[in-house]
Amino acid sequence: MLVEESKRLGPMIFWSIAIAVTAIACAALLYAGRGRMVNVSAPESADANSHFRLVLAGIDADLAAGKIGAEEAVGAKGELAREMLRAKAETAPAVAGEMGQGTLFAGTALVAALALGLYAFLGSPNLPAQPLAGRADVAAQNMSLDTAIERIEAQLAANPDDLRGWTVLAPALLEVGRFADAANAYGRVIDLSEPTAQLLTDRAEALLLAADGTGSEEAMGLLRTAADMDAGHVQSRLYLGAELTRMGQYEEAGRFWQAAIDLAQGDEPWLQAARQGLAVAQNDGVDTTAEDQAEMIRGMVGSLSARLYAEGGTVEEWSQLVRSYIVLGDLPNAQIAYDGAVAAYPAAFDRGELDSMALAAGLKLNGAEQ
Amino acid sequence: MAAGDRNAVSIELGHFALILACAIATVSALAGLLLWRSGQRLAQVLAQASILQFVLVAVAFLAVVQAFVTSDFSLKLAVDNSHSLKPLIFKISGVWGNHEGSLLLWILILVLFGALVAVFGRRLPADLLNLVLGAQSLLVAAFGGFTLFTSNPFARMSPPPLEGSDLNPILQDIGLAIHPPLLYAGYVGFSICFSFAMAALISGRIDQAWARWVRPWTMLSWIFLTLGIAMGSYWAYYELGWGGWWFWDPVENASFMPWLAGTALLHSALVMEKRNALKIWTIFLSIITFSLSLLGTFLVRSGILTSVHTFASDPTRGLVILTILAVLIGGAFLLFALRASSLRQGGLFAPISREGALILNNLFLATAVGAVLVGTLYPLLLDALAGTTISVGAPFFNLTFGALMAPLLLVLPFGPLLPWKRADLVAAGQRLAGAAGLAVFLTILVSALGGISISLAPLGLLLGFWVTFGAFAELIERGRIGRIPVGESFRRLVGLPRTIWSTALGHMGLGLTVLGIVSVTAWETELVTTLNPGETAELSGYTLAFDSFEQVPGPNYMADTGHFTVTAPGGGAKTLEAERRTYVASGMPTTEAAIETYGLSQFYLQLGEPLDDTHVVRIWYKPYILLIWLGALVMAGAGVLSLTDRRLRVGAPQRAAKPALEPAE
Repeated sequence: MLVEESKRLGPMIFWSIAIAVTAIACAALLYAGRGRMVNVSAPESADANSHFRLVLAGIDADLAAGKIGAEEAVGAKGELAREMLRAKAETAPAVAGEMGQGTLFAGTALVAALALGLYAFLGSPNLPAQPLAGRADVAAQNMSLDTAIERIEAQLAANPDDLRGWTVLAPALLEVGRFADAANAYGRVIDLSEPTAQLLTDRAEALLLAADGTGSEEAMGLLRTAADMDAGHVQSRLYLGAELTRMGQYEEAGRFWQAAIDLAQGDEPWLQAARQGLAVAQNDGVDTTAEDQAEMIRGMVGSLSARLYAEGGTVEEWSQLVRSYIVLGDLPNAQIAYDGAVAAYPAAFDRGELDSMALAAGLKLNGAEQ
Repeated sequence: MAAGDRNAVSIELGHFALILACAIATVSALAGLLLWRSGQRLAQVLAQASILQFVLVAVAFLAVVQAFVTSDFSLKLAVDNSHSLKPLIFKISGVWGNHEGSLLLWILILVLFGALVAVFGRRLPADLLNLVLGAQSLLVAAFGGFTLFTSNPFARMSPPPLEGSDLNPILQDIGLAIHPPLLYAGYVGFSICFSFAMAALISGRIDQAWARWVRPWTMLSWIFLTLGIAMGSYWAYYELGWGGWWFWDPVENASFMPWLAGTALLHSALVMEKRNALKIWTIFLSIITFSLSLLGTFLVRSGILTSVHTFASDPTRGLVILTILAVLIGGAFLLFALRASSLRQGGLFAPISREGALILNNLFLATAVGAVLVGTLYPLLLDALAGTTISVGAPFFNLTFGALMAPLLLVLPFGPLLPWKRADLVAAGQRLAGAAGLAVFLTILVSALGGISISLAPLGLLLGFWVTFGAFAELIERGRIGRIPVGESFRRLVGLPRTIWSTALGHMGLGLTVLGIVSVTAWETELVTTLNPGETAELSGYTLAFDSFEQVPGPNYMADTGHFTVTAPGGGAKTLEAERRTYVASGMPTTEAAIETYGLSQFYLQLGEPLDDTHVVRIWYKPYILLIWLGALVMAGAGVLSLTDRRLRVGAPQRAAKPALEPAE
């Protein structure tokens, strides 16, 4: 919005300054031509003899100061007289008369027209200066997240209805672990715009994280609204499945797990977890497959981690590895895998959800200062 | 919000300021040159206009500097020539380290000189001031227009890239911060002489008063040019890492030619001021000097001189430059041809006189300019016309230039001793006998001690000593040193006009430079060897130990650093560090030579490229090399001294003082 404003105002401000500068310059020229003394002392420069007077004064001064003797001074004055006679002999060309007022105005007008016209042809009045330090695109790369948050919060304090500010702020707050503030920020976004399933889920997620994983009435309500609102929304269903399972409402949980699995294409990273959740829900909370599954997961994790450390991989793959360790309850290895992911993707921006997951699991976020 | 507003317009405001300055210059040029008889009112307006031009171009220049300092990559010039990681001083100097920015600096100095004339020239006759400021404005309009239409430093980029290309690492040096502005101040200062010459030719009036106005500007420009060339030479010496101080390459020649012509102009204007003679010479040299300055700036800057193919790569720019030069220089010479014959010759003199000696000086210097010009342009013309590529190198210049300078140096000490109008060569010779004897004695002594390495060395030494000591002959004569008590002599010397001191010092400086050149050329020693840490090498009695080698990261480069210890023949060890840097952004390597100074001599060490597991090390011992630049500094200092002489401004004839002091003449 600020950018828009400056884009609109920039040329106007520029042209007003340019015209003011031109006016000042022209006024200075006209002023000089009015016969007033600005920089040229009129009588002296008009007087061809001034030079000789100056020399004469210099000789007298030298004589008075004792720099030259009386005889030398006479010699010098004689020389000066000869020079003056020579100068007189060369008759000065007749002065054609003072420049007219009309010429002066015409010349000044020509200056203004030339300058403004030429600039209109050559200049880019609508292009603001963009020093590196003040540029948003560079700022996103270089600014620390905390600084960025501070800056956005300051802007929002002044302008609390800035939807874009809240939209940017909410995930950033989530990332640095200020979950309650993030929930509030998502609340503002929802208030200022049309609520969507994703926004409601995001707010619910922030609330869940703020409550340390204990689902609140409000969060559950938001998730249910989100799931009702969008039949194809997976994330809200996954949260509902997990929360309802934790709360012991297995039947309803199973429905959400199943709904999520039905929406899957088959290669989603959460699919495995959803299937496991469904199995647990179907067994009324008893994880009979836990042993088998743990074994299977260990095998998968082993090959995945071997591949990731050897060849690298996408953020999703690293996230899957970390999640797997968390699911297995192997926090030390989860931490190692997370550190590996941070090494592979140093910019917090790229890791996004991985950080929230790691944080939720109690891992140390050594990349958080990014 | 206020800061935002300022940012929103600063670059474009600079752009507008430059355009407005050019508009004012265009109208001033028309008014000044066409309506020059309009008298006082026009003079006042033109003076005001000149000051406005300076203020506006200064704003434009500062806008570009600010864009570089804040790494504003919406300015194309900053993208091409800056980098956010560069140290501040090199961000600033990067402004003029390129074609567009250097043009802007050039114009800034042009309008500065115009403004100075407007401020200090308030006592000039209105006609003369109108013409001078009109001619100066014409130059501003021509080069301002060229800048705006073919090389606009305010070209923008949208969207701006995240980072700029690095500045050429060789140019990331404090030398670049100082060298071009000095050189440009010299080049552009001669524009004032040119404008004065144009004014004289158009109005048909030229007299001593005119010469008195021109001489300080000539002197000022000459001082800057002297310092600029010396600075450039020293910079090349320590930065390029080859240990050479002059290469006769086109860029150097381009700055040297205006210097030679400017030196002649300086002497010529002196004659005109004192004797009202050599008018045609003075006008001619004024035009030639500035023409050579233009050649120096633009042909070199645009790359035309180094290769005709650069010209082909940007035909518009080259063509416009050539057109401007042809119109300005051609127009000036046409005017000269039409009007020179009408310039009344004044001040008769005999062939043997100070005037005669100065004509000889002008002839030699002008011929030297011709020789350098031919050597510089001939390969280019041959390439352009016949397609044959030849290289005119140092041997040509050393031979022709040396052959022209030797006789000039031989007669130089006589000049200041000859009276105006008619002189007695024998009398002057007698007064120089002491200097001659001393020069011969020292030459024999040095040749005996140093050995004769090249056959011409003793001749060079002889000339160097002769000029150095000969410069003092007038002082000794005027101070009656040895003939009257020391205190009395001292009092006389202090009371001498500063111009006499300035002459003596200037000529002495030249002698020192000659001595430095001869000494380095004849007695320099060099050793190229491979060294490993722990090994030592020896050169001219100096022992060099390679202590250690390491790789160190710099702010924007990686450095291979060699630590050395050099031990002088008389004992006394000093540690040296030589580096080879590789710049990250460009991948370009540079060498940072290690230089240790012993008196006026230097020990010069360069760490070469790594060779398998050893290092190539080049070492030079350069006896008395500092004399070359010391001489130049003395010459420039002499110029400053001359400028401070109030006689230069009020022009009390000093001839009148002579008969009283020296009745023998």
